[in-house]
Amino acid sequence: MKRYTLLTLPLLLFAATTFGAGFQLNLQGLRQLAMGGTGTAVPWDASTIFYNPGGLSMLDGIQVYGGVQLIDARAEYTELPTGNYSIYSQPQTFTTFNVYAGGPIKKGSKWGVGIGVYTPFGSGFNWGDDWAGKYVIQKINLQSVFVQPTGSYRINDMFSVGVGLIYGFGSVDFRQAIPVQDQAGNIGEGELKGNANGFGFNVGLHVKLSDKVQLGLTYRSEVKMKVKSGNADFTVPMSLENMFPNTNFSTSVPLPQVISAGVGFKPIDRLMLQADLEFVGWHSFDSLDFNYSTHTSELQDTHLPRQYKNALAIRVGGNYELIKNTLAVMAGAAYDPTPVPDGVVPPDLPDANRLVLSCGLSYNPIRKLTIMAAFEYTQFAKRNASYDYAGFNGQYQTKAATPGIGVSYTF
Amino acid sequence: MKKIYIIGSALCLLAACKPNLKTNTPTKGSADFSRYVAVGNSLTAGYADNSLYRTGQENSYPERLSEQFKMVGGGSFKQPLMPGESGYPSPKLVLALTTSCTGVRSLSPIPYPGPVFDTAGSLTNISISGPYNNVGVPGIRVADYLLPGYAFVAYALGGAPYAYRFYSSPTTERPLDEALKINATFFTCWLGSNDVLGYATSGGSGAVAPPGFPLPNDITAAPLFQNNYETVIDSLTAHGAKGALINIPDVTTIPFFTTIPPNGLTLRKGQADSLNAAYGGAGGVKFAAGANNFVIQDTTSPFGFRQIKNDELILLTVPQDSLTCGGWGSIKPIPASFVLDETEINNVKTYTTQFNQIIATAATKHNLALVDMNSFLGTLQSGISFDGIRFNAKFVTGGVFSLDGVHLTPRGYAIVANHILDAINSKYGASVPMANVSQYNGVIFP
Repeated sequence: MKRYTLLTLPLLLFAATTFGAGFQLNLQGLRQLAMGGTGTAVPWDASTIFYNPGGLSMLDGIQVYGGVQLIDARAEYTELPTGNYSIYSQPQTFTTFNVYAGGPIKKGSKWGVGIGVYTPFGSGFNWGDDWAGKYVIQKINLQSVFVQPTGSYRINDMFSVGVGLIYGFGSVDFRQAIPVQDQAGNIGEGELKGNANGFGFNVGLHVKLSDKVQLGLTYRSEVKMKVKSGNADFTVPMSLENMFPNTNFSTSVPLPQVISAGVGFKPIDRLMLQADLEFVGWHSFDSLDFNYSTHTSELQDTHLPRQYKNALAIRVGGNYELIKNTLAVMAGAAYDPTPVPDGVVPPDLPDANRLVLSCGLSYNPIRKLTIMAAFEYTQFAKRNASYDYAGFNGQYQTKAATPGIGVSYTF
Repeated sequence: MKKIYIIGSALCLLAACKPNLKTNTPTKGSADFSRYVAVGNSLTAGYADNSLYRTGQENSYPERLSEQFKMVGGGSFKQPLMPGESGYPSPKLVLALTTSCTGVRSLSPIPYPGPVFDTAGSLTNISISGPYNNVGVPGIRVADYLLPGYAFVAYALGGAPYAYRFYSSPTTERPLDEALKINATFFTCWLGSNDVLGYATSGGSGAVAPPGFPLPNDITAAPLFQNNYETVIDSLTAHGAKGALINIPDVTTIPFFTTIPPNGLTLRKGQADSLNAAYGGAGGVKFAAGANNFVIQDTTSPFGFRQIKNDELILLTVPQDSLTCGGWGSIKPIPASFVLDETEINNVKTYTTQFNQIIATAATKHNLALVDMNSFLGTLQSGISFDGIRFNAKFVTGGVFSLDGVHLTPRGYAIVANHILDAINSKYGASVPMANVSQYNGVIFP
């Protein structure tokens, strides 16, 4: 006769995943950041390795470029329907960076080469260890870095093309409370940590229609970030330790394909206006599956619904030269609709439609050296959201401020 | 770098970077929560783990409700708290690693083994500190509610002195009198479970709807139930109090009856063969290798025993070691007092439905909120997720039911409180905030 099996099963594990989603980061160039994230049509500098590799052969010369941004994001949660409970995520600052080197292999050459290292996706939330949604998530931290060697060829004065290969690597750290208590009142906890990597590519076409009008079209492939053997560590009451053995897990998160189309227009000599349409193929993120290498009656593989939808973002921006070739100011805005449908909005990524406002300036103390600063403010729409899988719902709002600086030098 | 961060933070402040969600002010609607009384039985008293103890009471659903009511003008809320934690009169159940008769170590409920039995003063009458807002008394039935001297009678007949210890005139007053003492402006009433539960947990050993006053293991007759219930609600509402009537769950779906499977007898081929030879087909008993239905006592069958049917229930209180090593269910029939057979299940369900109709009628008549706890607890059969915790009606693992398989865990009482609040909010146009379920414990593990 079998004795009772045990346990209030937590919704193991990982409500995680923000690898992408609302946390696709559009911070790969300072000037572009300041212009609402636009940059597909105009190869401003070596960051075109990310924005449109087709533009790399259009640069004046080999350039090195470095930038850093600080994302200061905060979210608030309020219980619904009665609003009895409210909490802020703990203040956190995340650093992203981008480094590029590249350009035409020699002055006037049709060939361009380069390499970019940048942070395309990432996010983090820390709601604290004892908040109302602790059994869904306490803390999450996701980081990714892409390394992208790139080649570009200028077909003629009008067309140039480029292609880059992407190697992505990153890490995930996710912590969740497990609803089992010991006599001292300690609750269980599970932490999953792992390193991920994946491959992809991007291609770009740059079209210079005239001195006034440029067009860009790029495709970035999906990069499936795979965690092959992460560590799953559990802290549970002693009598349950064999139910929650420390083990390994595997998972994968698709960083989605992106198609961008952009236009750059110069109505007057000192002013460049840009607009981008960006299609993000989030549909591929249908579920998040975690497979453990050891199973027990309480520790089973999990399949969390995500059911993301494709999204189309609109970005506009402008660059105005106050002092020709020396001082420019930028401004821009973007509307980023959320890929996360109702019913699958977890507190590890309480995504919502986003409005982005940005500004910046650039200064050339000498002709070859550019110093750039940018600031972006992102406001998420208030969202009454539910995560049906875990029976957790409420109202969320997130705001983020992202200052950044960068420098480029052209040889 | 540091400079950048400071500048960034400053910009962020300027940009009002901190979200600011406006929350609604809780409202009481047309209800008045200033004096709240909770009428009921063990579920209302905060009974858990087969006993009454202080933290169990402090986690009762009326305590949860009263905390939420305080946000909309609710007053103080007094419970007749036990002095200690070990459980009275019998020790509470705790989960412990035990070794079965076959030497298998597993987690099982055992009576709290000590070392501290803090029951001193449990019998002291504490009515001087009353009247109490929670008048829930473990074991009390609708049938008992108009009985003068109930507290004394229950104690004298060998019951626990739960009413005796806080009623002000235990030898003369009716339970209803105690419920009316604080002149409540709002009440909840969750009575009725024990009018069928005693029958069910005794394996259907009592009578069904006997004439006169029912004994503890009987099912109360519907006319008596109706008369008493209506009198109770008439009295509670006599001065205009509003309230919520909570109906009674179908007890045959709780872990007390569903944990031990009817086909829990696992046999090897040789064992099945020798048992078949021994029974020689008597009572239609037949075994095969694998899972088999237990043999149970049945006085109505020609041989006095038969195999249990798939939809019949075995009680959680059946001695496990007798099943495993004592030959119960195989060479010896499981005694009828540990089995709820088809007829008995049918009696329980029929009367649960009738009692719930009486409760629904009273709610309509007095325009009170009706909490369909029967349906709500029914949804646990398939499991529900709430605040990241998955609940179901399974024993120990389900998170809702405490170690006695009948009463609830603190977390279970909290979700019950929220379900009651839902009904109150909707009936009275109120917006009383919900309790934070994830804050409360489920079963405690060693």
